[in-house]
Amino acid sequence: MDILTWGRSPWGQQILTHVSWDLLWASLFAGVAFLIAHASYMVLSAHRKRKAEETDAMEAARTDLPPLIRRHGVGARVFHWVMATAMLTLLLTAFLPIVGVQFAWVTWHWIAGLVLTATIVFHIIHATFWLDFWSIWVGPKDIPELKAEILREFGHDVPGPKPGKYPLGNRLYHLGIVLAALSVVATGLFMMVRVRTPFYTRNPYLFSDSTWGVTYVTHGLAGVTLVGMVIAHVYFAIRPEKRWITKSMIFGFITRRQYLEHHDPDRWVVSEPPREKVI
Amino acid sequence: MAVIRDVMPAFELFQPASVSDAQALLKRYGGEAWLLAGGLDSFDWLKDRIKRPAAVIDLSGIADLKGIKPWGDGGLEIGAMTTLTEIVRHPVVRERYSILLEAAESAASPQIRNQGTVGGNVTQDTRCWYYRAGWSCYRAGGNICYADTPQAINREHAILEADRCVAVNPSDTAPALIALDAQMVIRTGAGEQVIAAEDYFVGPGTDITRMTVLKPGSLLTSIRIPGTWAASAEGSGGAGRVQFYFEKIRDRNVWDFALVSVASAMATTGTTIDRIRLVVNGVAARPLRLAAVEDLVRGKPRNEATAVIAGNLAIEGAQPLTFNGYKVPLMRNLVKRAIRGVEDVDWTS
Amino acid sequence: MADKLVGQNYIPVDLVAKVTGKARYAEDFRADGMLFTKLLVSPMPHARVRNIDMSAALAMPGVKAIITADDLPMLPNNAERALTNEPLYVGEPILAVAAVDELTAAEAIERILVDLEPLPFVVDPLQSLRPGGNNPRTNGNAWGAPPPNTPPGTPAPLETMKWTEQDFNDEDAGHLPMGKALEEWAFGDLEAGFTNAALVLDETFTVQSTGHHPMETRSAMAYWQNGKLYIHASTQSVAQTQPAIARWCGLEPSQVVLICEYTGGGFGSKGGGAVSMSIPAILSKKANAPVMMRISREEESFIGRARTNMSGRARIGFAKDGRITALDLFIVQDTGAYGPLGDHRSAGLAASLIYQPPAMRWRAVNMMTNTPPRTQQRSPGPMQANGIIEPVMSKAARQLGIDQVEIRSINSPSGKALFGPAGPTGQRPHITSAFIKEALARGAEQFNWPMRKARSGQRKGSKIRGVGVTVGPHGAGSIGWDSLMTIRPDGKLYVQSGVGNLGTHSLIDLARVAADELAMPWQKVEVIWGDTSKGLPWTCLSVGSQTTHAMTRANHAGANDAKRKLQEIAARDLGGSPDDYELGNERVYRRGAPGRGLTYAQAATRAIELGGKYDGHELPMDINPMTRGSATRLAGLGLMGVAKDNYPRDGVTYSFVIGFAEVEVDVETGHVTLVDYLGVGDVGTVVNPRSLLAQIKGGSCLGIAHALFQKSVVDPKYGHSLARRFHYSKPLTILDIPATMNASALDMADPETPVGARGVGEPPVGAGYGSVMNAISDALGDDIFRRAPVTADLILMSLEHGRPMHDPLRAHV
Repeated sequence: MDILTWGRSPWGQQILTHVSWDLLWASLFAGVAFLIAHASYMVLSAHRKRKAEETDAMEAARTDLPPLIRRHGVGARVFHWVMATAMLTLLLTAFLPIVGVQFAWVTWHWIAGLVLTATIVFHIIHATFWLDFWSIWVGPKDIPELKAEILREFGHDVPGPKPGKYPLGNRLYHLGIVLAALSVVATGLFMMVRVRTPFYTRNPYLFSDSTWGVTYVTHGLAGVTLVGMVIAHVYFAIRPEKRWITKSMIFGFITRRQYLEHHDPDRWVVSEPPREKVI
Repeated sequence: MAVIRDVMPAFELFQPASVSDAQALLKRYGGEAWLLAGGLDSFDWLKDRIKRPAAVIDLSGIADLKGIKPWGDGGLEIGAMTTLTEIVRHPVVRERYSILLEAAESAASPQIRNQGTVGGNVTQDTRCWYYRAGWSCYRAGGNICYADTPQAINREHAILEADRCVAVNPSDTAPALIALDAQMVIRTGAGEQVIAAEDYFVGPGTDITRMTVLKPGSLLTSIRIPGTWAASAEGSGGAGRVQFYFEKIRDRNVWDFALVSVASAMATTGTTIDRIRLVVNGVAARPLRLAAVEDLVRGKPRNEATAVIAGNLAIEGAQPLTFNGYKVPLMRNLVKRAIRGVEDVDWTS
Repeated sequence: MADKLVGQNYIPVDLVAKVTGKARYAEDFRADGMLFTKLLVSPMPHARVRNIDMSAALAMPGVKAIITADDLPMLPNNAERALTNEPLYVGEPILAVAAVDELTAAEAIERILVDLEPLPFVVDPLQSLRPGGNNPRTNGNAWGAPPPNTPPGTPAPLETMKWTEQDFNDEDAGHLPMGKALEEWAFGDLEAGFTNAALVLDETFTVQSTGHHPMETRSAMAYWQNGKLYIHASTQSVAQTQPAIARWCGLEPSQVVLICEYTGGGFGSKGGGAVSMSIPAILSKKANAPVMMRISREEESFIGRARTNMSGRARIGFAKDGRITALDLFIVQDTGAYGPLGDHRSAGLAASLIYQPPAMRWRAVNMMTNTPPRTQQRSPGPMQANGIIEPVMSKAARQLGIDQVEIRSINSPSGKALFGPAGPTGQRPHITSAFIKEALARGAEQFNWPMRKARSGQRKGSKIRGVGVTVGPHGAGSIGWDSLMTIRPDGKLYVQSGVGNLGTHSLIDLARVAADELAMPWQKVEVIWGDTSKGLPWTCLSVGSQTTHAMTRANHAGANDAKRKLQEIAARDLGGSPDDYELGNERVYRRGAPGRGLTYAQAATRAIELGGKYDGHELPMDINPMTRGSATRLAGLGLMGVAKDNYPRDGVTYSFVIGFAEVEVDVETGHVTLVDYLGVGDVGTVVNPRSLLAQIKGGSCLGIAHALFQKSVVDPKYGHSLARRFHYSKPLTILDIPATMNASALDMADPETPVGARGVGEPPVGAGYGSVMNAISDALGDDIFRRAPVTADLILMSLEHGRPMHDPLRAHV
């Protein structure tokens, strides 16, 4: 399997044109393989779950908390779903023609790309000024949590940190999405110069052939990566044990019980009323 | 690897005697097969070593693909391998479908028309000189259009329906066939498929590497022209009088592709336009049937005023490039002429 | 003499072979063990070859040899060679592969890795003149003026010329920027001329480049025998090409045998052969086998040459009566990757001649670009001058209310008219003769000018008619060449012709003159041509419309040498003085006593017996070494006529063709139809009427094509020629001209040449070019177009917007 496709400039020089579309299939395959592997594991393994009694006890101890805890504000939820729509539109308009479903996709693609860009800009501003910016990031301090979570995954009841507001998997996923989405958006914005839009005079010669090659390959790599990541994301969203998170992305709230069961109250401190920091 | 042109590389040549043999070969070679009709388009690609098929399937030995015969209610079926010269000389084409005669006769030069086929004429690739130079543009599988850059020289390129690629369709017979509401008979692996001529052509938005719906494994076998648009005098068959207009504007009077061409079939009662089909080529990657213009002029008198509004509507949305702005007034004027006709001029006085 | 051959139609001896396909052109020859070569050409407009890896190609079984520039001899003054290590244009050959067939050679080329370092390049001369603009070569962008007082052929120095930003101020208004010129001359009082003018116009026009594209590309086949190079090639000038090949291959002329009996056209691009001929020659030596090089149409569009494109700005003052008072001409010429060329100089001289300004200044910069190399193309310079100045003449006539024929007539030269600047002696040069006023009058009558003029500008339906007229000039003859002929014991006259057979018939016509002088019936004349081993005299290049003039003079001299020898032999054998003898009925006989004489056959036999000067064993001292060698080879075969043309000539020879055109422009489509055309030649005595009229029509056709659609196109980003195939460059087709085109000639003898004939090949080009464009502007009005070709896009956009919408200055669109 080739990773990259090469073209030839009018001067006979080799130039990068795209990633190989074989990578799309690879990403799709990886996404589906992960899904099957994970699902099988969940079915077959002795996945340790917190016993109901433990949670009951915790809940009894924390009646100071409201019954419903706000996990995502309206803005964050609108952002998420607009972004999800844009992302799905982008992926479908990008990859359906490649797999043989042909339609005039370019205009849809760049419009969705602009929507995605706008949501990302909103999200960055929103997260910087209104949310706990660092709560989603991953750093060296997360290593103990990583160890603990892995052990928990393998059925061990171990002490050590439990997730804050965002579970580590969630945060690692976010990091991947950040890298892929920023790459795809940054390159995509420049690539709009290559096609006709109302915003620029079309100028495919803005960059040199080699710079464009890197741009296209970055866009393609990020794009096919997103295919796999989106599959994984959707998969988790519909898994029964994660559905409470999905619901919270729709309605904004989780129950006190879910909060106590899945989160570390020391790392995600819920103060009443929670609305003041959430818009 | 250095590039060299004008030396045809080696390939397997097959000369099947039947459509089914040709199909078997298409199946065997898939995307590696190249269908050869008259060769006017093919040999350029092959000699320039840009398209390098493993197998070339020469259709010239298939008798079933040649000739013109009656079809349906007063119509004609033209085999895809019928030469343009045969079409030009055919008495029924001359009498009833003179628009096709004019279109076929305007193609290339007499020598090329003797060799070129109608199937090849409608299926030929675009003549964009960047693409034909073998540059790896969108149409060639790359990610750039060299013809729509700030420096590009694009006098012959598209003003409508451009989507990354700005190439135009070069066929002369295509607009005439669409005006006549012809049907294209296609043989695919799954059997026979008949589609309207206007649906035979695709733009770059839909498929940037192809000019027609033909995919590897498919084969255009014939073109059917219905009797509904046969030329007639007023009153025959209860319908209005059917008349045609075809005009191709080019730099040279022979051996040149159209800058813009127009074809129309129009049925009139008195001066009122009853029915019309109007097609323009040379402005987009596929011949454009101007349905909105047809709707606008239907029921209107055939005169200058109708022609003017038709011309103005036709060019709505046109987006010229650096060197092809002239195509906008040219298309407008040709549509006008297709509606109202052209005055015969006598300079002897 | 009753019926002279000169002035009569005849069927040239080569015609049947040409029309039946029996004629063999360079590509038609084969030799035992012959290999084929294909070229690897540069994909970059300017680059340096860093490395060539040909190992994979050489490993192929059918590959026999590869040559690069390193295998070719260096030429003086860094002149263009057939292969290069620093390509200066896309398509310049870098190496050549010899293999058992073309397929193998092509596959070998695809396996060669050439590592090229891209270098800065420029495809538009004005871009190179901008401050900071790229240069086409690492050491310059322009050809300077040839150093003063140096012999012709001295190379022009390479210069770097940049203009200032201020020089480009007028550019947006469509005026040619005029910075510092590299060449300049002037005569008369320019300022006074403009001050006294009733009307001053200042216009810019761009003349396009056009590929020569002869039907036969520059294919060649070469092999070696006993240390001699035998080469079958395509050239316009056989005698002159032999030393050129020798120079390109590092040989002595005597080591080269050139065979070229038929040439499929040249239009100037094969004037003295083609430097590419050295490829099969050198490759054949390396491969030790004959090598055939078939040049494809695409390769021809790279190496096959093109016309220089020129942007010109003409400021012209007119008196009320239409007489020009002053002419100020500035030219920016583009010679492509090589040069230098003199088209810009020819353009200035031609302008000074046909418009006869009392005061004129000519300035020029002669630029290089990284585009295919140019060479002279049929009317190189004068045609461009017509293109630049004719729009101004037409506009002035309209503004002053003067008839277009009239304004050209009153400004035209006549007799020994002066032209150009004063030479070293302080005298302005003059021409031998001109009868333009007569030709204009005759043409106006034949063309029914008043009737057509009356409807010019009228609109019927969507169509407007227009008429135009132009005087096309061109230099038309050189002097001082040699002739060589023998009357042999078989009684026939054998005329050796070193002219190339490019279809002009001057190759054979020159023998008509000799036959007339010797009173020899045409069926007893054999013309020997096309093979340097057959003994050819020193002959002019078949370029510059000079052959008919130059070689009729030479053969007049040679035939008179033979005549004198016939008379001397007769006198010696039969008594009396040579002057007592005259020629007739294939005999030399005593005047008044026809029975007392010798047949030509007898005289030829006597000449061989006598030897010495009579049969070529003693030769005149003033003939060229080439003629001497050929005559020595032919010595003893019969009575030899051999002479250099020493006839006097007062003036420089020019010919003129007047073009009259009527066009019909469809203002809805922009399409121009040439309705009628007449060419009238002021070309001296008519030698071969049918051929002459065909030349006038054919030359006009080239100009018509240039006016209407023929062009070169170069992509500025990558420097590639886009109009690289026949179809894209759009030469004329038979349906683009009227079904009947008319031509005639004055048939008025030039007083400065014994036969009276001047050349005709080139003047019709400017006549066709100018008259068709003038007719278009007469139909549509001024300021519709500022460049050629005048295609539908220019016309439609100007009509639509009420002003020219095209960039008049950008080259190669």
